[in-house]
Amino acid sequence: MSPPSAASSLASAEAPPPFLIDVGRLGRRLAPLAVGIAICIAGVALSGFHKGFPAKWVLGGGVPNWFDRADSWVQTNQSSNFFLHHIIGGLGSFLNSATNDLVSALHWLTWVGVLILAVLVAWLVGRWKTAIFAALMVSSFGILQIPNGGPNGISDMWQPAMTTLSLMAVAIVISTIIGIPLGVASAVWTPVSKTLRPILDVAQILPAFAYLVPIVVLFSIGNPAGIVATVIYAVPPLVRFTEVGIRTVRRDVIEAGEAFGATRRQILRDIQLPLAAQAIMLGLNQVIMMALSIVVIASLVGAGGLGDPVLQALQTQDLGMGAVAGLLIVFMAMWLDRTSAALGKHATRRVGVGKRLTRPQLAILWGGLLVVVLVAQYGLNLGDWPSGWGFSIVDHVTNGMNWVTNQLTHVSESLSSFLTLHVLNPLQAFLNDFPWWLMAALVGAAAWARGGPRRAILLVGCVALMGLMQAPVGYTFQGVTSYDFSAWGDAMQTLSLVIVALVLDLAVGIPLGIAAYRWRAADAVLRPILDFLQTLPAFVYLIPVVALFGVGNLAGVTASFVYALPAAVRATTLGLRAVQREVIEAGQSFGSTRWQLLLKIELPIARPYITLAVNQTILLVMAEVVVAGLVGAGGLGLDVVTGFSRSEVGLGAAAGLTMVLMGIVLDRLSQTRQTQGGQG
Amino acid sequence: MTAPTPTVGSEQVDTSDAPVIEARDVWKIFGPHPERLLGSDDLDLPRAELHAKTGNTIASRDVSFDVARGEVFVIMGLSGSGKSTLVRCITRLVEPTSGTISMCGQDVLRADARSLRQLRRTKVAMVFQHFGLFPHRTVIDNAAYGLEVQRVPKQTRHERAREILGIVGLAGVESSYPDQLSGGMQQRVGLARALAVDPEVLIFDEAFSALDPLIRREMQDEVARLQARLHKTVVFVTHDLDEALKIGDRIAIMKDGRFVQVGTPAEIVGAPADDYVAEFVRDVPRGKVLTAAFALQPHAGETPESVVNQDARLGELLPVIFGVQGPIGVVGSDDQLVGILDRRMVVHILAGREQHNVPEEPTLEPSTPAAS
Ligand SMILES: Nc1ncnc2c1ncn2[C@@H]1O[C@H](COP(=O)(O)OP(=O)(O)O)[C@@H](O)[C@H]1O
Ligand SMILES: [Mg+2]
Repeated sequence: MSPPSAASSLASAEAPPPFLIDVGRLGRRLAPLAVGIAICIAGVALSGFHKGFPAKWVLGGGVPNWFDRADSWVQTNQSSNFFLHHIIGGLGSFLNSATNDLVSALHWLTWVGVLILAVLVAWLVGRWKTAIFAALMVSSFGILQIPNGGPNGISDMWQPAMTTLSLMAVAIVISTIIGIPLGVASAVWTPVSKTLRPILDVAQILPAFAYLVPIVVLFSIGNPAGIVATVIYAVPPLVRFTEVGIRTVRRDVIEAGEAFGATRRQILRDIQLPLAAQAIMLGLNQVIMMALSIVVIASLVGAGGLGDPVLQALQTQDLGMGAVAGLLIVFMAMWLDRTSAALGKHATRRVGVGKRLTRPQLAILWGGLLVVVLVAQYGLNLGDWPSGWGFSIVDHVTNGMNWVTNQLTHVSESLSSFLTLHVLNPLQAFLNDFPWWLMAALVGAAAWARGGPRRAILLVGCVALMGLMQAPVGYTFQGVTSYDFSAWGDAMQTLSLVIVALVLDLAVGIPLGIAAYRWRAADAVLRPILDFLQTLPAFVYLIPVVALFGVGNLAGVTASFVYALPAAVRATTLGLRAVQREVIEAGQSFGSTRWQLLLKIELPIARPYITLAVNQTILLVMAEVVVAGLVGAGGLGLDVVTGFSRSEVGLGAAAGLTMVLMGIVLDRLSQTRQTQGGQG
Repeated sequence: MTAPTPTVGSEQVDTSDAPVIEARDVWKIFGPHPERLLGSDDLDLPRAELHAKTGNTIASRDVSFDVARGEVFVIMGLSGSGKSTLVRCITRLVEPTSGTISMCGQDVLRADARSLRQLRRTKVAMVFQHFGLFPHRTVIDNAAYGLEVQRVPKQTRHERAREILGIVGLAGVESSYPDQLSGGMQQRVGLARALAVDPEVLIFDEAFSALDPLIRREMQDEVARLQARLHKTVVFVTHDLDEALKIGDRIAIMKDGRFVQVGTPAEIVGAPADDYVAEFVRDVPRGKVLTAAFALQPHAGETPESVVNQDARLGELLPVIFGVQGPIGVVGSDDQLVGILDRRMVVHILAGREQHNVPEEPTLEPSTPAAS
């Protein structure tokens, strides 16, 4: 055989008509989908016989009943039981007095003192810009006022802001005291890490709503409950950051320490901790942001401060006021974020950032501040912000929002009716009627494929337990007939909202992520927007969304979509950026087109990141869907809100537990073996 | 030694001939249940098969060696051959699976945590491939680290560190941070850190592999210069044959966790123990390594017109070989005539052909370290 013919036969063997390959691949790709559709049809057909979850199946008297009994036990034994009285009660009153002391300390400083202190700290750890920013943000607490029955019909938010600041400070200090040692311990002792990991895993996927009710049962409504909720929410990331920071100190650097005969303590103290400082400072920054992001939720359990007006505004639909009060929380978040980020750099960088003042210089500064405070306090009799110094923009905001809403009425209404009638409602009805056991089987199969039999068993168990959280039909406790709580139905409702928001997020987020990777201009436009969106606490999204769509499911979906979008975009871009330059060059050197590069090289390599993006998006969407219970989005979130408003502890707690189970299912389903536990 | 010596050298003349490091039958098996593997048949499986079957990797197989005082002992092998693991076994940074190791007369493997730490603090110091510098410490605090863990007061240790930094050519950068220095300078910091504790043994684990060729040569010269002055006992790991030949008094060639040959540079190049080593040394310029001992013919009574030492490198003998007409005698270390230099063989050797003598008894005893 002559060489040319060999070559040509080879070529023809290697290149069958392209559509053949595509059909084969398409077939393989579509097979699971086809099976899924078949199962769904079967589900619909079967739903005539097995609708949802059987109402008769109730765990011993009903899970809500357990919580109700626990609650009434706590009520009656509050002062006699040692644990409740001394430990819980003691902790509660400690938290209360710590907060109150801080509030009075801030009051004693007077507004001048607080302002100067904020500016001084920002200036010391950062640049002039940091200081000016701090000044602006702190002043806004006084200047931006809301109609609240003050002298001119408006009053400043200085006091609520100081309350929030104090609550945050206490929560942050406690989180630090708990989080950093735990992080160090789990970095040093593997057993601790192994014990903590599943707890942290669950804690990180928990929406804060899930544990509010048990906290209220123990601490009752008030500041301590808010602080405890905040701490539970903020500690896990700090532990993670600390542990990862210590564990990722380069092995050879530690080995160098060992080689010179350093003890374990010396290595920890002189090598690992200093090198992990940056990660730990990042964790602290995260703690601050997380704490501020649940200010409103903390207000739900009775913590005072800036969260209150937002909560009220959401409930009375006074959106202008909600927007302004929410803005103040955002301002506080931005102020503390900038200052603590600068502090992190200041503490861990050697040169360039912040000031290194000598001791006498520092003494003069602090002494000067003290003098100013003393003069302000005792000479000028200043106190909180002078309430005349400010104005209300609430009416303008309301008008502005109304104007925008009116302009968009056509779009928002048609979008609203389309999504509600043709997407949300059918999906909800479908999921609601879908037999629970078929759902469990589907989840089990998917979990098996992703993570093996153990995960499958875990998740099937969780699905079944979700249904079992329900109350018996016509449940009454101590003579009060309860709100009708069907855990399964409400979980399915939440799930339908999650699915719609998730699909929207991926459909929009991944292309945006690719665009930001591809085109510098797109990145330049997106980056500041995403940065801004990511500093906004969850509830802030609710305000404009309610203005557009009114209260209800659609508001929840939209808020969740917007809330999770940055994560979807970011992780996609990040994954694509992680593809090695050289690999791309190799592709280019073979003459790939841009699309071929993207489809055949970049996206497949970035797949783990995109899987992670899906996972994070799901968790964020779920968290926000639940919070959207505040604005009437149905499902488990609404159950918790209802539980609070009607003091139905059992209902709220059982709904919270259902959320936990659902969070675990969604999280584990969206993680492959490799990505599991890999997120930080 | 006439060079003005700062107080660096461990000048105490210890005349005892006992090796500083004695390693016997050292095994290191990574993976689950290494002790079960010892003595089983699986030991002989190829690495991939063994790993697939038991999850174990054998990094060191029954290795024994001695390092004499003042000697530079090079361990050379390809990446993955087990060099790093072996040198880490010496100080138990990696715990050997079995065997015995003694250093300066102390049984390392029996030592408790405390005395092991003491050993690491005072007797042996290490220089790492990727430098292992502490990024959060200044150069001087890096150099002083070994003294710091010994709780030497700050002033003293800084004085000492500054002195050593001067010796390795780093005066003036004491308060810089490692990442502000070039790779070569960073490794000088690593070297200074090791020298600052005035150890008896220095371990270099591919210390220069990460450096550019020119800088690498500079550092090799630096080590040679310091060694001429300090006479440390050195274990030097490298995958670079040229480096091994240049620095080593003796070289151990390592493959798959075993020593396949141990010998002087000339022995390794002139008398490779097997094809593996032969392949390794094929391209080495022989004249630079082989000595007159490799081109001897028996002495048949002629009077040599000139004499050369048997340890002289052939490449350096060319002026003599072509400068005299008559026979050239070769003398041993005691100035006794051991033979006549075979000119034809010298040409063959220098031309890179395989024909040459092998000295009768390859001196497996450590040869005397290069005198200054
Ligand atoms: N901690 C470890 N766990 C498992 N295998 C290891 C470990 N360290 C080294 N090895 C294996 O032991 C072998 C020898 O490694 P190493 O001593 O680093 O070789 P070298 O330094 O010669 O490149 C390699 O196959 C490596 O994969
Ligand atoms: Mg190595």
